[in-house]
Amino acid sequence: MLVVLLAVLHWSLRRAGGGERIQKETRAWFGGVLALWIALDWPVGALAGYLASAHMLQYLLTALVAPPLLLLGVPAGAWRRLASRARTVRALRFLTHPLIALAIFQVTLYYTHLPSVVDGLMVTPLGSFALDTLWLLGGLVFWWPVVAPVPQRPGFGYPLKMGYLFLCTLVNTLPYAFLTFGELPFYGIYELAPPVGILGPREDQQLAGLLMKVGGGLILWTAITIQFFVWFRREGEAEGPAPAA
Amino acid sequence: MKRVRRSTGGVAGRAHAIVVFTACLGLLSACRVEAPERSEAEERARTTGYRGILLEDTDPRPDFVLTDARGEAFDFRAETEGKLALLFFGYTFCPDVCPVHMASIAAVKRDLSVEEQRRMSIVFVTVDPERDTPERLREWLSNFDPSFVGLRGTEARVDSIMLGLGLPAAIRDTTAGPDYPVGHASQVIAFPPGDGFRVIYPFGTRQADWKHDLPRLLKK
Repeated sequence: MLVVLLAVLHWSLRRAGGGERIQKETRAWFGGVLALWIALDWPVGALAGYLASAHMLQYLLTALVAPPLLLLGVPAGAWRRLASRARTVRALRFLTHPLIALAIFQVTLYYTHLPSVVDGLMVTPLGSFALDTLWLLGGLVFWWPVVAPVPQRPGFGYPLKMGYLFLCTLVNTLPYAFLTFGELPFYGIYELAPPVGILGPREDQQLAGLLMKVGGGLILWTAITIQFFVWFRREGEAEGPAPAA
Repeated sequence: MKRVRRSTGGVAGRAHAIVVFTACLGLLSACRVEAPERSEAEERARTTGYRGILLEDTDPRPDFVLTDARGEAFDFRAETEGKLALLFFGYTFCPDVCPVHMASIAAVKRDLSVEEQRRMSIVFVTVDPERDTPERLREWLSNFDPSFVGLRGTEARVDSIMLGLGLPAAIRDTTAGPDYPVGHASQVIAFPPGDGFRVIYPFGTRQADWKHDLPRLLKK
């Protein structure tokens, strides 16, 4: 249902965009939808009720992979329409201010990985849906200042975007450390779930922690590298061609 | 350089955003349901010292002889005398309760000292002797801990032991084909080295609970 809703949303955004050629955006958009689909459907979605590591993979896909792709998939015309709405832009300027966005994302990350929250929410479909939604919204807010052109932030250039992403690689260290080095399983839902595969609850939790750190780090460092090369290319373009000798 | 003054509407926008975000977190906090058995276990620990359910002034540990996975007679009372004995009735084809209990106990046992480990005995009595052959029982238990003892007996004998301990007899639904399920009591019964009381650990007992209780039980 989520995939259908997102597809319909993109179709309406394309219409709003005035029918320009938007192949690149379409690829990014469907990449984002694909990431969500993998995260929420079988097998990852099903295993997320049994394994903390699958739950973590779901988090990475929903909060770190899908949101930037979905934002990159928004057509330019839709951004222009958004930019013309002064009140919305004002709200977005605050909500997606890098410091606010980072804080929201981190609060979401920490909150949604608390044992009592996971054990309380994951036992019902509605609670599980609430977690997925929080991750997606938190991810959209986090990636917004890096990817979205509205609102414009001329002061938040490529070096600062790289620093912002780097900061995020540091702040997920605390939950990673708890998960990886914890002596006991934190989450009752995974500890008491019927065993799947060869991993016991402790090993599964350690794998979840490693996924958070290594997988999350890989995604963020890929984004940092992309920002660096885009910055490098733009600088080259700004300087213009070298004068002939 | 001309500076653009922001309108005061921005302040209202910020306030709205903060209120909405806080309200969302508040709503989710309301959904932060702590499993009732968790708070019950902690309450029990405050009142009795154990996270399991303490039964005081009970009979000594049961006296029965069954066959172990090597085919030799195992006298439960004699073999576990002076030790902390954890007794559980289950079956190796169990999809959830049995492997979870065994894995939890094995994980926490590994954290104890060698001396403490020597002073405890974990005994698993199969309620499904037809499918739980000695080989299968030995192999399955070895996945958790090679020191775990697997016992077999006739269905009637095992049922009578369970009834003697106040547990319901197992229900084998053999009409459901070869992968039939067996309904059985899901609690582990702990008999401390000195007897006199026992502690019941229902399904839902966490490794943290075992880690809390096992050292205390070993001292009794």
